[in-house]
Amino acid sequence: MRKTAGLAWTGMIALSVIVSGCSSNSGNSNTNEVSGNTVNNTSTNTANNTVQNEPEKHDPVTLKYTFWGSPNEKKVQEAAIKSFTEKYPWIKVNTLHIPDAYTTKLTTMASSNQMPDIGLLNGDVALEWASQGRIYNILDFLNNDPDVSVNDILPNTMYYWDEGKLAGVNGALEAFALFYNKDAFTDAGLPLPPTKADEAYTWDQFVETAQKLTLDQKGHNALDPDFDPKAIKQFGVTMPLWAYMNGVVSNGGQFINEDGTEFKLSDPEAAEAIQQWADLINKYHVAPSPTQSKNLPSGATALQSRKVAMTMDGQWSLVDLGAASKKLNFGVGVAPVMKNKATMTLGEPIVIFKDTKHPEEAWMLYKWMMNPENTLELQTSGLWMPVLKKWYENEDLVSKWAAGNPAHPDGYQDAVMRNAFDNGFPNTSYYVKNLSKINSIIDPALEQVWLGKATAEEALAKIKPQVEKELKGVYTER
Amino acid sequence: MISGRKLWNKEARAGVLFASPVIAGYLIFVLGPMIASFIFSLSEYNVISPLKFIGFSNYTNLIDGTDPLFYKSLGVTAYYVILSVPLQILLAFMVALLLNHPIKGKTFFRTIFYMPTIVPAVASSMIWLWLFDPDLGLLNQLLKVFGISGLQWIYSENLAVPSLVLMSLWTIGGTMVIFLAGLQGIPRHLYESVEVDGGNWLHKLFFITIPLMTPTIFFNLVMGFIGSFQVFGQAYIMTQGGPNNATLFYSYYLYREAFEFSSMGSASAIAWVLFIVILGLTMMVFKTSALWVYSESEGKR
Amino acid sequence: MISSRFVSKSLIYLLLAAGACLCLFPFYWLLRSSVMDQSDIFVIPPIWMPHDWLFSNYREALTILPFNRYFLNTFIIVVLEVSGVVLSSSICAYSFARLRWPGRNLVFMIILTSMMLPGAVTLIPQYVGWAKLGATNTFIPLTLPAWFGGGAFNVFLLRQFFMTIPKELDEAALVDGAGYFRIYSRIMLPLLVPALVVVGLFSFLNGWNDFMGPLIYLSDEKLYTLALGLQTFKGMYNAQWHLMMAATTVVLMPAMLVFFLGQKYFVEGIVMTGLKG
Repeated sequence: MRKTAGLAWTGMIALSVIVSGCSSNSGNSNTNEVSGNTVNNTSTNTANNTVQNEPEKHDPVTLKYTFWGSPNEKKVQEAAIKSFTEKYPWIKVNTLHIPDAYTTKLTTMASSNQMPDIGLLNGDVALEWASQGRIYNILDFLNNDPDVSVNDILPNTMYYWDEGKLAGVNGALEAFALFYNKDAFTDAGLPLPPTKADEAYTWDQFVETAQKLTLDQKGHNALDPDFDPKAIKQFGVTMPLWAYMNGVVSNGGQFINEDGTEFKLSDPEAAEAIQQWADLINKYHVAPSPTQSKNLPSGATALQSRKVAMTMDGQWSLVDLGAASKKLNFGVGVAPVMKNKATMTLGEPIVIFKDTKHPEEAWMLYKWMMNPENTLELQTSGLWMPVLKKWYENEDLVSKWAAGNPAHPDGYQDAVMRNAFDNGFPNTSYYVKNLSKINSIIDPALEQVWLGKATAEEALAKIKPQVEKELKGVYTER
Repeated sequence: MISGRKLWNKEARAGVLFASPVIAGYLIFVLGPMIASFIFSLSEYNVISPLKFIGFSNYTNLIDGTDPLFYKSLGVTAYYVILSVPLQILLAFMVALLLNHPIKGKTFFRTIFYMPTIVPAVASSMIWLWLFDPDLGLLNQLLKVFGISGLQWIYSENLAVPSLVLMSLWTIGGTMVIFLAGLQGIPRHLYESVEVDGGNWLHKLFFITIPLMTPTIFFNLVMGFIGSFQVFGQAYIMTQGGPNNATLFYSYYLYREAFEFSSMGSASAIAWVLFIVILGLTMMVFKTSALWVYSESEGKR
Repeated sequence: MISSRFVSKSLIYLLLAAGACLCLFPFYWLLRSSVMDQSDIFVIPPIWMPHDWLFSNYREALTILPFNRYFLNTFIIVVLEVSGVVLSSSICAYSFARLRWPGRNLVFMIILTSMMLPGAVTLIPQYVGWAKLGATNTFIPLTLPAWFGGGAFNVFLLRQFFMTIPKELDEAALVDGAGYFRIYSRIMLPLLVPALVVVGLFSFLNGWNDFMGPLIYLSDEKLYTLALGLQTFKGMYNAQWHLMMAATTVVLMPAMLVFFLGQKYFVEGIVMTGLKG
């Protein structure tokens, strides 16, 4: 028994060593002096910038930046932050990459006032936390900053939780477009899809194109009377079904009314658009059902293996398409138009948490991350689109990211960049309150529609009262 | 009447002393958070703002059907428990019996049968998504041979729960290992005496193995209940609660409430209802255990 | 007689082989996917044998992850956790199974309740408690509780095993004047080796694969564990499945090895107790 007791002691000693080692680590980050600055005196920002020449005047500051993302996003953001700390040597930034369950992790941190200073946050969470007073109003910084103004930023990248109250600006902008395998079009003898929004496919043209591109095992396309919808080898098109608002807005529909008191997806325009998406699956057999798409690879891989000919997907697909460009002859087209030109824009905002003791330095980092120059590799790789207007308007800046690389082929600038700039509409997470609860009612209903078990009109009318019970209005009217 | 002194004899004092680590652990690490979550259940609380006391309305919202998903989720979970617990225990017991035979390579077989339990869910869920595929999946292709076709598996409201039960049978490694360890404790001479009396393997199974294994079976039964009522991963990874909430398992429903809809208050109420259900069932199983669980120390059979 | 024994033996092997195939399947799938191109992993009907074996996936995955650091962190956590569980759980279980004291069964039921409340709702108060002690962002919340009886699961499991040990053994020792601790450590514990190995194995594998605990309590990438690292390959919009599969395979190997060695031990432990029984 003495042996076991000895082991126990060794264990306890080891434990205490580790404990003390760790606590001294975390101690370091807490020893920084509190600057005492609050957001009310951000006017001193200007002063801050001029002081750059004499860095010795600054007390050292440590910021914590939390984010999630792929290894590549991690690498590039860390590099951007490294160059930031090289420019402002008195600021140290601890980055924390949280690979999964991000909101859960930040919620626990919030419960003990251990929030980071600055970080990425899901849009709907950011709006809620901001309205509970846990996040700074970014406008307070923007309005006092000489370098960047709110008018420089794309409207669809900003999360307002109230009039004049900006919770955050996206790390990046995303929009939807049509991506396709050129060989599939050539083999079917079809012209390539249009890239300019004015020349976009009408819905009927789009359906017909998809039918011609859908092939069964024997090589019959979906217009052929011998076509076997049970043995499809190549689907004409796939689209992420959660992005149904692309169709709804293009058809003149809405999610909810302006002040968020009425559910509008069950209205004729919206329901018709959703039905047309469902018809791609169940009537025309040109798109995979939710069941079938679970077993389809995503984006680039599906196109490359000719499982699908076109995908109507987010522009982030470009990062995989670009990487596969040696093996895949892909093109970019503009999404089809039902009645109005529209592409859904989305993205998750970066926020400055109220717990921070260094709002000014956090803002400096914020500005740094907002400038595409500092994360250029993510823009050129096709993963991100800039959030600053001039990167869409100034030819020199545009050519820095949206041309001359495998992720941005000819046609990209019309089909994605300009379309997002001119015809982008915000995703529901930018304005709808209580969104995740509302979606938990809508999603099972729409699932019935995609599976062909109910029409869009029936399914949506049925849940209208349930949804309206959960409607809590909008943050700002859109 | 037993006097206090007699009640706290040497054995009782040793008993409390020896049990003190786990009692202390409970008091330090478990009790506080449990009480806190009970307080949450009486409040409106989203973690990031201070909580607001609202009495029992989180509970009444569940019971009176204001939250339409409560009964649905409870039913779905009960269905899963009723199907999965007996099947898991039966299968694990049979596999353990097989692996307890003096056969060649049994150390390898033991490791192999445990493997699905340690392969991370990301890998195994990919395979099951393919197995369950209605058009191209292996299961439907096999069934075609028997003239059955078109089963929708996890994509059908009726078959979704049974499909996930089927999937859960794959990861019975833990239960099997506990049975295996239990089987090692059965003294050989008891089997020998059955052989001397001319008994066959069935006699051995029913007169020796099963009676002596009842403490282990009891354990696996109780843990099966506790674990299955809180099943989470499959709903989270494979079905996200669908189709049409057919696999909205209780723990998943609760997690969503807590961290996606940020209503920790109602999530806590939901959790405490489950707590009462599991506690009630466990106590019932414990009450019946005197009738069927073998115990040396209690001196009865 | 011989032929019937032969038939039953073959039947057993047949069943075992069939079961083994089913159980090896996920592992095979993992290995296969770990040497494939991202685009081939999901092809249906599946590619059973990759045309090119891309071992470069392993190199790439391991350069992305600071594997050595994560491995060391995981190792420290698991060693502290397993030793805590193994050293503290059996004596508690002994008390609940063999010693009579007032309120024992009630206390045992209360201990079991710790498994009945879903963790999602105790997560926040637990975290707040550790934060108040200044112990977040250390390994303490992940390892210290193991030293307090190793949790209800392990105590319950060992209690059930103690119950099967013939009571003549401790009664005889008691008559010889042995104290309760001596009975526990000299007579009971050696008989409990198989069950203790099982408890140790479970704690090891739990600690090795635990994702939520480290995610919540560790807020410094230098302290991250392997299970956290594996999630890194899932991005905001896409996942690098081939790299995740390669990294998963590497992380799985030690766990499999430990299980393989461990189960050998509990077989040997049994042989010993079998002689005594």
